[in-house]
Amino acid sequence: MQKLLMSATKMPEVIRQIARKIVDAGFPGGYALVGIHEEGVPLSEKIADEIGKMSGCRPPLAKLDISMYRDDIGKTKHLPRIRETDIPFDINDRTLILVDDVLSSGRTIRAALDAINDYGRPALIRLAVLIDRGNPEYPIRADYVGKKIELPPDHRITVRFEGEGDPGVFDELWLDKHPSVKE
Amino acid sequence: MQWNRKDLLELYDLTPEEIELILDTAAEFKKVSQRRVKKVPALRGKTVVNFFVEPSTRTRVSFELAEQRLSADIVNVQASASSLLKGESLLDTIKNIESLQVDLVVMRHSAPGAQAFIARHLNCGVINAGDGAHGHPTQALLDIFTIREKLGRIKGLNVTIVGDILHSRVARSNMWGLLKLGANVTFAGPSTLVPREFEEVGVRVCHNLEEALADADVVNMLRIQHERQTLGFFPSTGEYSRFYGLKEDTLKKMKKDVLVMHPGPINRDVELASSVADGENSVILEQVTNGLAVRMAVLYLVAGCVKK
Repeated sequence: MQKLLMSATKMPEVIRQIARKIVDAGFPGGYALVGIHEEGVPLSEKIADEIGKMSGCRPPLAKLDISMYRDDIGKTKHLPRIRETDIPFDINDRTLILVDDVLSSGRTIRAALDAINDYGRPALIRLAVLIDRGNPEYPIRADYVGKKIELPPDHRITVRFEGEGDPGVFDELWLDKHPSVKE
Repeated sequence: MQWNRKDLLELYDLTPEEIELILDTAAEFKKVSQRRVKKVPALRGKTVVNFFVEPSTRTRVSFELAEQRLSADIVNVQASASSLLKGESLLDTIKNIESLQVDLVVMRHSAPGAQAFIARHLNCGVINAGDGAHGHPTQALLDIFTIREKLGRIKGLNVTIVGDILHSRVARSNMWGLLKLGANVTFAGPSTLVPREFEEVGVRVCHNLEEALADADVVNMLRIQHERQTLGFFPSTGEYSRFYGLKEDTLKKMKKDVLVMHPGPINRDVELASSVADGENSVILEQVTNGLAVRMAVLYLVAGCVKK
């Protein structure tokens, strides 16, 4: 039931384009990338590698888990497993670029902004995503987008860099939201 | 691995994977308390009742702080000021509390199984904060968390628990958790307080302290309650201390980096020499710090399974 939206060979090219846009934005005081678990973390590493190759300077990286900031605890079937949050630098007055694989409702980014706020007060926050689904439920937009893909709400987009299965971007049926599937 | 329980009643019920999930989750919650803002909104809008039918200071304070750091709303009910004294049954009291749209009940009770009983009758989540001599799962989890954090593993470690095993819920919960994760558990103390029956579930029972501690990686010293002496379990506190108290000279014969633990409150120079309690091997205050993280993790996981 998987449809390929972006192949593993196409992904590095798209990631390079995101890196290029960030480099071209030319933040004078420098910036750091903050990857949001799960797939935002490997994506942030790949973007940082590309930025390093382009500009000779690899930006510092942080990992952020937003589980504790979700607004649906007790409403979903399962809680996601909490992953490591590691912000190895002071974020006060810095420029941060949040990195996530897919921008969908915008709720993850809302939670990420709340989380960031508890660690300090950055000067500027921007958002980079590999895929923008273009159906935000919150007034949240991405600044650096790899590819825009519009799909019906009962479809989910899965981004895979490593682990089980082939890497790539896939279109799957979102079983929980599909009207033909009853619990 | 996903958490599927609306209650935490006893470690006996859990799989090793579920215990590991709590410990991993606690490691991330520990970091919250080290931040500038020591609070997350995970339980915002949820109400937690701390219902302590038996006295408690550190467990109650630890739970209360954990709930505050998760942004829950809290109500504390003390048995001495509740209508239990007017003859209301436990279930009626709890049912009335639940009718106020409560999400979680953290309960301590002197009757073993009291939490399991109310959990069967409630839709809200129930966390056992100690039930008689039966179980104290969050204490065992914080002990195991501390061991894992300090020594990097649980499997294969020799853990000796010394003292009044007979009356100890801490010993029982530790036993289940440690055995499930593959540790070797020894119970030590006078034969009146350390029944041989524990051998049936795989615990080594030992009545000689030096023998029990010779190969220990961890020693957990339990509080000896003075009232047990009047009941005849041992002749005098002085004699108990001489045979089963952990002192400097015993420590010197043990592994150099052995962890010395105590669930508190300590009777200084009875079960534990002051110099050992405050010494380099002691992780007693870290246990307290970790207790907060473990309770945040348990509250978070359980709250995620209480459906409203």
